[in-house]
Amino acid sequence: MSVGTRFRRIWRIARWEVSLGSTSLDRQTLFAAVALLVLAGGIAGAGLVVGTEGLAPNQDIYRIGVDENSPYYDVVERHAALAPREPDREKLETGDLDLIVSPPTSGSGTVSLTLGGQRGDGPVDAGGVSPSTVSVAYAPTEKGTAALTAFRSAVQGYNDRLMAVEPNETAAYPVNVALRYRSQSTSLQSSRFADDNGTATGGDGSSGGESADGTTDSSGTTGDTGEQSIDDGQQDDRSSVGDGSGSTDQREDPELGDKDDSLLSGLLGGSSSQGSPAEISPPFPFGSLILAFVFLVPMNFIIQAYGGTILNERVNRRGELLLVAPIERLDIVAGKTLPYLLAAIVAISGISYGVGGGVLAVAAVLPIALAFLASTFVGAMFARSFKELTFVTVTVSVFLTTYVFIPAIFTNVTPIALISPLTLVVMSLQGEAVGLGGYVFATAPFYLGSAILFLLGIGVYREEDMFTQKPVPLKFLDAIDARLRGPKSVAVASALKIPFVFIGELLAIAALYVLPIEITVPLILVVIAAIEEVAKSIHIYAGIESDRFDRSTKTALLLGSLSGLGFFVGEKFTVIAQVVSLQDLILGQTALMPSGVTPSTGVALFFAPLVLHTVTAAISALGAKRNFRWYLVAMVVATAVHAAYNFQVVSAYV
Amino acid sequence: MIRVSGLRKTYGDFAAVVGSSFEVETGEIFGVVGPNGAGKTTTLKMLAGLIEPTAGSAEVAGFDAAEPAMRHRLGFLPEESPLYEDMTPASYLTFFADLYDVPRSVAKDRIAETLDRLDLEYRDRRIGDMSKGMKRKVAIARSLINDPDVLIYDEPASGLDPLTTNSVLEFTRELRADEKTVVFSAHNLYHVESVCDRIIIMNEGQIIARGTVEEIREEYGETTYHVFSDTGLPQTEPTSDGRHRAIVDAMDEVEGLQDAAEAAGGSVVDIRTNEPSLEALFLDLTGRQMAGPRTAAATAGNGESSVEESVEESVEESVEPEEPQ
Repeated sequence: MSVGTRFRRIWRIARWEVSLGSTSLDRQTLFAAVALLVLAGGIAGAGLVVGTEGLAPNQDIYRIGVDENSPYYDVVERHAALAPREPDREKLETGDLDLIVSPPTSGSGTVSLTLGGQRGDGPVDAGGVSPSTVSVAYAPTEKGTAALTAFRSAVQGYNDRLMAVEPNETAAYPVNVALRYRSQSTSLQSSRFADDNGTATGGDGSSGGESADGTTDSSGTTGDTGEQSIDDGQQDDRSSVGDGSGSTDQREDPELGDKDDSLLSGLLGGSSSQGSPAEISPPFPFGSLILAFVFLVPMNFIIQAYGGTILNERVNRRGELLLVAPIERLDIVAGKTLPYLLAAIVAISGISYGVGGGVLAVAAVLPIALAFLASTFVGAMFARSFKELTFVTVTVSVFLTTYVFIPAIFTNVTPIALISPLTLVVMSLQGEAVGLGGYVFATAPFYLGSAILFLLGIGVYREEDMFTQKPVPLKFLDAIDARLRGPKSVAVASALKIPFVFIGELLAIAALYVLPIEITVPLILVVIAAIEEVAKSIHIYAGIESDRFDRSTKTALLLGSLSGLGFFVGEKFTVIAQVVSLQDLILGQTALMPSGVTPSTGVALFFAPLVLHTVTAAISALGAKRNFRWYLVAMVVATAVHAAYNFQVVSAYV
Repeated sequence: MIRVSGLRKTYGDFAAVVGSSFEVETGEIFGVVGPNGAGKTTTLKMLAGLIEPTAGSAEVAGFDAAEPAMRHRLGFLPEESPLYEDMTPASYLTFFADLYDVPRSVAKDRIAETLDRLDLEYRDRRIGDMSKGMKRKVAIARSLINDPDVLIYDEPASGLDPLTTNSVLEFTRELRADEKTVVFSAHNLYHVESVCDRIIIMNEGQIIARGTVEEIREEYGETTYHVFSDTGLPQTEPTSDGRHRAIVDAMDEVEGLQDAAEAAGGSVVDIRTNEPSLEALFLDLTGRQMAGPRTAAATAGNGESSVEESVEESVEESVEPEEPQ
């Protein structure tokens, strides 16, 4: 069959899958779903269009009467919560206006504000901006009072921005605060937050430098004077958050400041430190991580629909009619998967465009989407009911989200973070270069793992397995067994498990990283041994249980040896870890490749694992040939032998 | 058209089909009969390439049953034929026509013609809103969408009302005129007897009888003759209408009775031939007790049940209301 014919059939099934999805929803549901999508898209779009002002739930909530020629008109118009209206005092009384801005008068219900320097009792000339004092009359209601507060805040923010652009900084900021940074014992970052009045909240001063709470004021009329030392502190009320590294101070690093603005303005609002929650700017890298997390949200919806359609084919036996059609199983699965993969790509691309992530972000998140779909596919092939499928999809979602999200938090802390493709997204957003090696390191386990999961699922995408109700573990064993042929296939199966072993081990490293090193190293050696022993022996057990292999000792030893050999060959692919310097980390050395040994010892160490893997796999195989209980016992023994070997190597050479 | 040789399917220790061999000629309607769990459906699914045989071979229309190319020549109707209920018959059939590479223009005419022949009404209705009989007709139309040479129908009239059943059986007979080869399984032996040219009877995975219904009757059935005379004889018993009856199983004995009656001054007034029904033969051959231990062994063997079995059980236990006739 030609490639073109094959692709046409895949495309037909994909189109059919889409039409099935659309026709299975009634019009009302479809309309509601489209409406929700439009609403969500509209909000996101509005966020992007509004830009620095961000999204505000209180948009135009206060109606302010202000003359178009008044200098306050601009203040009102720029503020999200304020809407300028004609200044008609009667409307204030009727409730059509919440507040009126007029020339200075006196009387109850009025306050005076000054544009161009509002602090203190009198007007202050702030950098050549002519002060303009007005009287403000507000409605004697709670909303009127709230409108006054918002207006006051708007004027304050306006003044702050005016002074920020003032070339004569001495005029704008008479008080000079010098910052002195001190090195810290750990590389962990800390942050300081400041409120709108410029109150800097000092952190724990014990970590370095003095701790000082300083109240600074842009006019200099309040607060301490003189030079203060604020450890890794925060400076003024224009910039809400600082960073301990010193390199991320927004004023000192305009490039990053701009980047941060661009990142956060779209979805999280502008850089203004005042107003609604939409205007809050979380510190980097949390802002980027939040955006990176956005990539994962649509996948959770996509896998629900995808898992449902796969399980529907099984529960209702509808898949039988496709199986009897002149089309390969692979093409059926490809056709049914394609719409959901395309949906994921569209979602990823849209989000990437929105956050400025670029092609790298799409390329980094694509394997995550594949892993979501592949895991869901296998889960749907194993699940016996929609209840079980829900459990599977939730498990898939939690596991993958944890795996990709938590390491990304440590993007700037440890190279372990690179086990997650989301780290590539964060790096991309930070403007850091990502090499091909880094990309392969982060994504190869996902690509390979997804491919193997799809192959496993396709192996049981046949009449004999699709419509049989078995517990998930037995289905899993069937899926593994479906990929076995002769004894040689046992070696291949062991090698193919390397991506999952890699994922499991790196996840273990990442999870145990937070513990003290003296606990982490022994623990991780045992965990790694257990992971590898399961990977080497589970398919042997599956093959023996399905009577593919006989239960003789000779066969068990043969299968164990072949499995050990296959695993050894596959394991050497972990050398890719060295490309990205993960071996610099002691845990990486422990887990992957001891270094600092002589050539002869290196050769011995290179082949010693071959002996180890064949011996321990044979032990497990000997247990598997009897029954499940003996298999577990043998696994424990094999893990103990493996862990002892790991301890020996680590204590001797690391 | 179909050649099956030594076909065997085992699941662990359980043998679903044990060394079946048979041939089906072009244009023949071939019945597969047997009790539940006899291996009928497994045999049909191996013919359709859905199940891989453990041993043996099945050749359909010149292709090995496992070859995807064979499926272009095959129309398969499973016992449970769930449809996509949100689609209309036309859109459903058009999709399968696409899968079988049937040109759209040809498919359109073929769909219309087949639905006409099946007398399917309400073609613009959602399949989910159709009656069970109408759904079955749509499923039959799907099996014909690629104009196949071989049709494998597993219980095509199962669960249908008598009117629809007759319609489906009549349609199956018409397929013979179109030179289609049909392999047909059914529980209702009357359906088999009325439609099939030849049959095999399966039990415990094995073929225990084969041939035309007549041949099987001759080979396995016992034809008896009820001879009525107007005079009593040693071999006869009086009947309520004053006559005398003897039951014999050979024509020689009938002639002997005629001679004896004449010798006694009477005569034989009536001779009735009593042939066993296929159902009687079936019960005699398979025995009602056989299915139990084997199913139990299967359950004990692997501790699993199939969706199919669950469906069968539910169908048997809960009698669905028949459609109004």
